[in-house]
Amino acid sequence: MARRALRAVAQYGAVLFAAVCLNFALPRLAPGDVIDYLFPPEQSGAITAEQRAAVLDEFGLDQPVPVQFQRYLAGLARGDLLLSVRYGRPVRDLLAERIGWTFLLVGSALVVSTVLGTVLGYRSAWRRGTPGDAGILSTAMLVDSMPPFFVGMLLLLLFSVELGWLPTFGAQPTTTTTGAAFLVEVGKRLLLPFATLTLASIGPVYLVARSALVSELGEDYILMAEAKGLSPRQVRRHAERNALLPVSTIALIELGTLVGGAAVVETVFSYPGLGRLIYESVLARDYPVLQGAFLLLAAGVILANLVNDLLYPVLDPRVRR
Amino acid sequence: MQVRVLRAVLCVALAVGLLTPPASAQDAQPTTLRIALNGYENNLTPFTISFGAIPNTHDLVMLVYDSLFWSQVKDDPEPWLAEAAEPNEDFTEWTVTLREGVAWHDGQPLTARDVKFSFEYYLAQEGASGRYAHHVSDVPPFAGAEVLDDRTVRLSFSGPAPAFEIMPGADLPIIPQHVWENVTDPRLASDTLPVGSGPFKLVEMVPDQLYRFEANEDYFLGAPTVDVLEMPIVKDPAAAFAALRTGEVGHVTRNVPPELVEQFADDPEIEIAEGTKFESTQLYFNARKPPLADARLRHAISLAVDSQAVVDTVLLGHGSPGLPTFVHPDSPWALPEAEPAYDPATAEELLDEAGYARGPDGSRQAPDGTPLRFSVLVSSFEPQDLRAVQLIAAQLEPLGVGLVPEVLDPATLRERRSAPPGEIPTYDAYVSTLEAHAHVDPDALYYFFHSPGNKGFGGAITGYTNPRFDQLAEEATTAQPSDRRRLAGQMQELLAAENPTIVLWYREGQYAYRPADYDGWVSDFGHGIFTKRSFLPAYAEQSGAGEPARSPDDTAPSPASGGAGAGALVLLGSLTARGSGLLARRKNRSPAVGGDG
Repeated sequence: MARRALRAVAQYGAVLFAAVCLNFALPRLAPGDVIDYLFPPEQSGAITAEQRAAVLDEFGLDQPVPVQFQRYLAGLARGDLLLSVRYGRPVRDLLAERIGWTFLLVGSALVVSTVLGTVLGYRSAWRRGTPGDAGILSTAMLVDSMPPFFVGMLLLLLFSVELGWLPTFGAQPTTTTTGAAFLVEVGKRLLLPFATLTLASIGPVYLVARSALVSELGEDYILMAEAKGLSPRQVRRHAERNALLPVSTIALIELGTLVGGAAVVETVFSYPGLGRLIYESVLARDYPVLQGAFLLLAAGVILANLVNDLLYPVLDPRVRR
Repeated sequence: MQVRVLRAVLCVALAVGLLTPPASAQDAQPTTLRIALNGYENNLTPFTISFGAIPNTHDLVMLVYDSLFWSQVKDDPEPWLAEAAEPNEDFTEWTVTLREGVAWHDGQPLTARDVKFSFEYYLAQEGASGRYAHHVSDVPPFAGAEVLDDRTVRLSFSGPAPAFEIMPGADLPIIPQHVWENVTDPRLASDTLPVGSGPFKLVEMVPDQLYRFEANEDYFLGAPTVDVLEMPIVKDPAAAFAALRTGEVGHVTRNVPPELVEQFADDPEIEIAEGTKFESTQLYFNARKPPLADARLRHAISLAVDSQAVVDTVLLGHGSPGLPTFVHPDSPWALPEAEPAYDPATAEELLDEAGYARGPDGSRQAPDGTPLRFSVLVSSFEPQDLRAVQLIAAQLEPLGVGLVPEVLDPATLRERRSAPPGEIPTYDAYVSTLEAHAHVDPDALYYFFHSPGNKGFGGAITGYTNPRFDQLAEEATTAQPSDRRRLAGQMQELLAAENPTIVLWYREGQYAYRPADYDGWVSDFGHGIFTKRSFLPAYAEQSGAGEPARSPDDTAPSPASGGAGAGALVLLGSLTARGSGLLARRKNRSPAVGGDG
């Protein structure tokens, strides 16, 4: 038991370290550098060597790469994520400001798309071959094939511009509101990006849930259960529980897709989350922000994996030993 | 009984209503205007801005700060913080007299010491001063300042600075000494709210979400016409214009995309104001890389480009065709007789003469056998640029010259167009857009087209090299204004003959707003309508006065409190064409009547 736990910790540790290294290397492999972004485009070709040197020095970017790496690791050990070049502020503060919004958006979309996708998938599986199944199936394929920014724009045009029900931008009201009114405003602004993201990720969950249940239904134990006279409800409980394993795996994979999709959706709806921060930091080659944000995401996904690993035995008694 | 009481109350209310002047009724309820801004700029100090809101960055900063003069787009800018500025004989010294009674937002007086400090600080903090640095280090090179009294300062330069009132006078934000003197790392001073002297105080900033400004009631040109400015950051253009349509914002700082202009023209609640920001989009050749180093080849290509067709197709007509002389036609420095040059027949002849023969497939080759086939780098964020390159490629095909667009993300594009000092970059051509700064700064021709030289700037952008041009440019930086105009004209003639760039278009500025939310917009020459003058009573009041002025040459009457001549303000009157009494009506929510956009 202890050996297994130790092995798990070592495994996760190795993955985390690999993520730390990649986070440092990947942004630096992209062409272009942050200096260009601190000047308007018309002058980016006109920065004097002294100006360039002064800025690089300020952010420690004139140091050799190994020294930069050392500083980065030392900073991480202290919990210090360095300064954003573009914002001139600690990366930690930037991430702290945004993580909540992304957590709210991605979290709600993950829960709803998983639950709804599973329910619909099971429904389809039970009625496979019927027009109802075909209808849900083709709708799910259609929605899944539309890019999130397109879905977002359609929802925005329909619900904000044409119907006027929901605000078009932001995560919170511009005027100061408090208490319940504030929560209502936040909810109204969450609705469209949340719906976009949910639609963008519901497809795969639905498809996996459907096919998992379909294949469970073909198993011998189902035949056995039916033969021994269990009620349809009881048969269903057996089959659906066993079909949950692939669903939990796909939900985890979807988490990564959701975070990527959030970058697009947050940009369309001017939502101040992590995805938009990453997107803009990539454009500006703001290395410290990218390092910090990717590390946070990697840690999040690794944590989710861990939770999933722990959850597996609960879902499936066969993997308990 | 109750009725009688009610009637008495009503009478009193009516009497109070009649006795109260409308102005104070207005004071009672603060007016808020919400504007969708296209990007976040930290805490809006000259050292912390990151150009996310370009081309509105400078106007945004200047809501909070002031310069000695305003604005840089005229060769005769209006005195602003300064009351007057007198040069010495050879223009190496300027004695600036400040306006009386100007205070910083925190109540401290703005004095000559702040002006001296500002110049010294920008120079000392060259790395952080970014876009403003070259106004003290280079054009003109600042040598020192002497405070003569509270309101007078003498600034000296190590060379003649004939254009001091424009650059740096009308561009450099003056900063408070008491705030900055102990700041050693201004680029990192992005957490505190800025202290300026401008018409608005920034009172709240939520990163990437919102700025909230409150009017500086004690502003030296009168209390601003809007009490609270809320500026949510809306990055996505489609979302920003959707918010305008729903009425969530009263203005969007972005230029209205050509395809939306028609739609807004039909919307009775939205109006479109025109006002150029002096934008130009051009194709830059790598003038140091053969065969494009040959001016005859570049000239022939430019003659085969029909920029009017580009404007009609790509901008749906909302712009004017590029001029071979580069400078924006409305700039005070533009060569008046410049015209678009389109002459494909001459282009053919030129290439034949220069030895660019046609191969078997009809495409031309350089004398050394290199095919005339060039890649053009285009930013993935500018679909219009891509469309333009595709169109030009089709126009050049009969000439036997091939253009292939290559779409890159902006940072990669910048990397590709640069090269270490002394080396020639490898690109053939790229497309990029310039703003007012490049067309109104009389030294801009120097930065863009001088061969690599002692100013550090030269040659970095196009690689164009011509000793004759260099000589003209060097002479112009220190020449008297009248000579300068002549020299600038000669430089433009050279550019028209040798074409280091092809200007594709000068985009027309079209800015949409909801008149019911705010109607005091001033189309400020070279700024569009999102600029501080739109919120100053002396200018905003005139905008509704039905002033028919629309052409850049019309001069507005001097504002009552604005010191000397207002320069050429293009007023919105002609666009709105709707009577007077604007300030009193700006809260009127009824739909606009008769606007013709």
